[in-house]
Amino acid sequence: MRTDAPAKVRGALQYGADLEAEGMLWGALVPSPVAHGRLVAIDAAAARAMTGVRAVVTGEDLDRLLPKGGGDPARRMFPSDELTYRHQPVAAVAADSLAAARAAAAAVRVTAQELSSVDGIEEIFPDWPGDEGRRSPHVVAHVHARRGDLEGAFASAEFVLSQIYRTSGVAQVALEPHVCLARVEGDRYYVRTSTQAPFAVRSDTAEILGVPESKVVVEGSWVGGGFGGKASALLEPYAVVLAAAAGRPVRLGLSYREEFLLGRSTLPAVVRIDSSVAGGTITGRRVRLLLDAGAMLPGRDFATGFAIGFLAGPYRIGAVELEGYAVRTHKPPFGAHRAPFAPQCAFVVESHMDAIARRAGIDPIDLRLAHAWQEGDETPLGQRVGPFGLRAALERAAKRRSEWRADGRGTGGIGVACGFWSTGTGAGGEVSVTLSRTGVRIVEGEREIGSGSVVRGLVAVVERLTGLPPAAVRLEYRATDAAPFDSGVFGSRTVGALGRAVETAVRTALATLAERAGVPEVGLVYEAKELRVRVRGRARPLATWLTAAERKDGGLTVRGRHYGRSGAFDAGRVLDGEFYAYTDFTASVALAQAAVDPETGAVRPERVAEFLDVGVALDPEMIRSQMEGGIAMGLGEALTEETLWAASGRLGNPGLLDYRVPTLGEIPPLETETIEGYRGAGPFGAKGVGEPPIIPVPGAIANAVLDATDAQVPELPMTPERVARALKPL
Amino acid sequence: MAFSLASPRTPAAAIRLLADAPRGDVEVLAGGTDLLLDLDAGRVAPSRLIALGRLPWRTLRRSGGDLVIGATLPLADLERDPRLPRDLPGLFRAVRAVGSVALRHRATIGGNIARASPASDLLPVLLALDARVRLLGPSGARELPLPALLRGPRETSLTPGELISHVVVPVRRPSAYLWQRVRPSNDISQVGIAVARRERAPYWAVALGGVWPVPVRLPSVETILDAPVPGDAQVERAAQEAALRAPFVTDKRATETYRRRLVAILLRRAVHAVAGAPQGRSR
Repeated sequence: MRTDAPAKVRGALQYGADLEAEGMLWGALVPSPVAHGRLVAIDAAAARAMTGVRAVVTGEDLDRLLPKGGGDPARRMFPSDELTYRHQPVAAVAADSLAAARAAAAAVRVTAQELSSVDGIEEIFPDWPGDEGRRSPHVVAHVHARRGDLEGAFASAEFVLSQIYRTSGVAQVALEPHVCLARVEGDRYYVRTSTQAPFAVRSDTAEILGVPESKVVVEGSWVGGGFGGKASALLEPYAVVLAAAAGRPVRLGLSYREEFLLGRSTLPAVVRIDSSVAGGTITGRRVRLLLDAGAMLPGRDFATGFAIGFLAGPYRIGAVELEGYAVRTHKPPFGAHRAPFAPQCAFVVESHMDAIARRAGIDPIDLRLAHAWQEGDETPLGQRVGPFGLRAALERAAKRRSEWRADGRGTGGIGVACGFWSTGTGAGGEVSVTLSRTGVRIVEGEREIGSGSVVRGLVAVVERLTGLPPAAVRLEYRATDAAPFDSGVFGSRTVGALGRAVETAVRTALATLAERAGVPEVGLVYEAKELRVRVRGRARPLATWLTAAERKDGGLTVRGRHYGRSGAFDAGRVLDGEFYAYTDFTASVALAQAAVDPETGAVRPERVAEFLDVGVALDPEMIRSQMEGGIAMGLGEALTEETLWAASGRLGNPGLLDYRVPTLGEIPPLETETIEGYRGAGPFGAKGVGEPPIIPVPGAIANAVLDATDAQVPELPMTPERVARALKPL
Repeated sequence: MAFSLASPRTPAAAIRLLADAPRGDVEVLAGGTDLLLDLDAGRVAPSRLIALGRLPWRTLRRSGGDLVIGATLPLADLERDPRLPRDLPGLFRAVRAVGSVALRHRATIGGNIARASPASDLLPVLLALDARVRLLGPSGARELPLPALLRGPRETSLTPGELISHVVVPVRRPSAYLWQRVRPSNDISQVGIAVARRERAPYWAVALGGVWPVPVRLPSVETILDAPVPGDAQVERAAQEAALRAPFVTDKRATETYRRRLVAILLRRAVHAVAGAPQGRSR
């Protein structure tokens, strides 16, 4: 069982929303009233005069409040001139109560000269841009890479299939909105916050405040869900300046409405994809991506080069060209959300694969099997593919499809889709592990974000290595001034990267004990709540093998580090921009059956099966829960979830009524299977499992719709209206 | 958000409180599933809320050929009435279409009617069934046909101090309610269509939700149907008429064009469901 479960069920764990401190004030942000404009004036007099208001901070106050008046000018907390998205914070307020803070924030008068806004990428590039694309002031990133003779492949093809797909933005919808609590002590800033990455929040906050990292101390609270939106600083710098201005601790959180506006949604994209086919083989593929980056600052976009790596699919194709632009619009900056943009990419490639299969008269699974990467193949950028379970997953999916067709339990179409992912490394990480009489203690900086990767994943590594029961292993969390560095819980890296650090630490400790005992190896046993060392088959007290200093310190403490490195790609294939190499190769295949109402266009999923390449299953129950959660989330991205951006940067659905996450009523029976034996970069060959399960789901639903109706829906989400339009133009 | 909350125990007390309060400064709280959103968003800022939860109107009884539903009866209680699926299948389906199970334990039928939402799932079926509303106010009780109450979104013809006390629905008419939404289990319907059939002419009643400004009957469609079991061509003409006449607009939930297509589809299905069902039963 998860060690956090009892306390969570009892409501005893402290989430971000539970953060409190003596004398604490409540913060609120003052939003920009326009999507694009010039800031003319901020009149805070009325707000300052309100009862209970302790501080109002604008850009003009930063010189007074911060040692250098702030940090990187490109990342100013409050814009001094140009406003670049609606609700961009222009000032902040601290007051005795949340209601007083919100009322005061509403009373701050912001005068702006509104300028015309860029509301969507197709306003800038209605068609694929030629050379003018690179010169456009709206482009914040451009990536371009080629492999092989694409022109030759297209010229000699039996057919070239060209398609355009569009995807919508999705919101984070973690149950817990962003929240933090800041206080100032001397020249140090202390922040407690609901975050996936305390060290990233520290470096971000320090950069924005313009102070050394050593002056910022970040302590993670328990996290009520994080899908990428809590992997860097958001509210923390504002809370710090409010605390500095008020001289008291300040808690700052987003309302759920603000969460939709500021909480880092992903944004829409348009993808053009063309493939040449000859003799049942895909000989060439060109992918062209336009990604809405929102108010992303130049140089900070990661998504374009990252996403485009997924857009050719995990397939052997002789000639490939990848090109993408990140386009700046007047929406909030693009955010990362569970496998950033990969489900959308897989929707595009996998829909396109089924269209090719139909045109070529080949079974969709056979077409994929004929092209699926295997170990030793090359990615478009020339990286060697490592152990990869895609073919095995596809074969299982083919078998399951036959069973489904035979059992008659569904009436709808059946679709398959592939996804691939690579376990993230981040900037690496460390843990400190102590073996003491009472057990194994892991000290680190990360809190559990809900997936189980910390409370179960890290513990499972110790179990697997030592055979100790979970009760013998304890996790301890420290703030960034006392915890070993780790880059955070994201990229499905916790077990894959931090787990390796745990593995190294425990192995080092065991080797140390073995050396002291003068034996080749020792084991650990946990009996009557005591950790003992097994030497030559006999369990002995741990203390026997500890030095006097260690006995005084309470045990043998060892550091474990893991700074994983990605493989290398062929930089010669890159014509422009930044691409990303992979650490390992994780396959996920989804099979979906869905009934489609041929008139209304309503899609009703009947069942979804998923086959996940996990390397080795360290905790099958936790993997299943990640797979089921990923499928459910994928169904939302497939069918119902989208941020409705209207003119002038307005969001039409900043709430859970019209931003439609699936409820239990939308989730059909799910079947999950893991595939082992294709080693990943994690401990014992494990691969990350947080993100891969969501990736193939929208594509599988799209292909089930195609199977049911002979029509493709070229846009996510596949709402009834979009499906109806695809079946019969409105 | 600061207000005082009154929870009167008698209708007379409630009406007195309501009539005494300055207009615009008081809001009536039934289940609160809609009002609380407005309060939270600051769309209304009353200094006084009058809660109806203690009034003796959480009732459900049968009287002659009518089902008399107390205005403050939670929808979940109505849904659980064992005879409802048989007596009023359209109303049963419509009640189950409102929000989630949890929401239906709070939401009341009177509140749903008084909020007069264009997207209400209940109003179309109540209109199709010729429901009437009983009102109680400073000058006594009166009964209105439902269309006379509905003026527009959140706008009714209730006079100052007046409350809905009961909803009266004639039973034993075959009826159906069909809806379409993006998220089936819990969403605002893009289109909702209710049909009911009487024993003698004029046979059909057809009403629509997801329209602007308030759910309506479609008399021209009803006229076309004009037979207990209309023929396919008749149904098709009615469907086209509904698509043409329905007061649809484009909003964030659906385009006008899609709604027009939907209403024709759903009308065909609803009429066939009722016409093909044994007496007193349908979807």
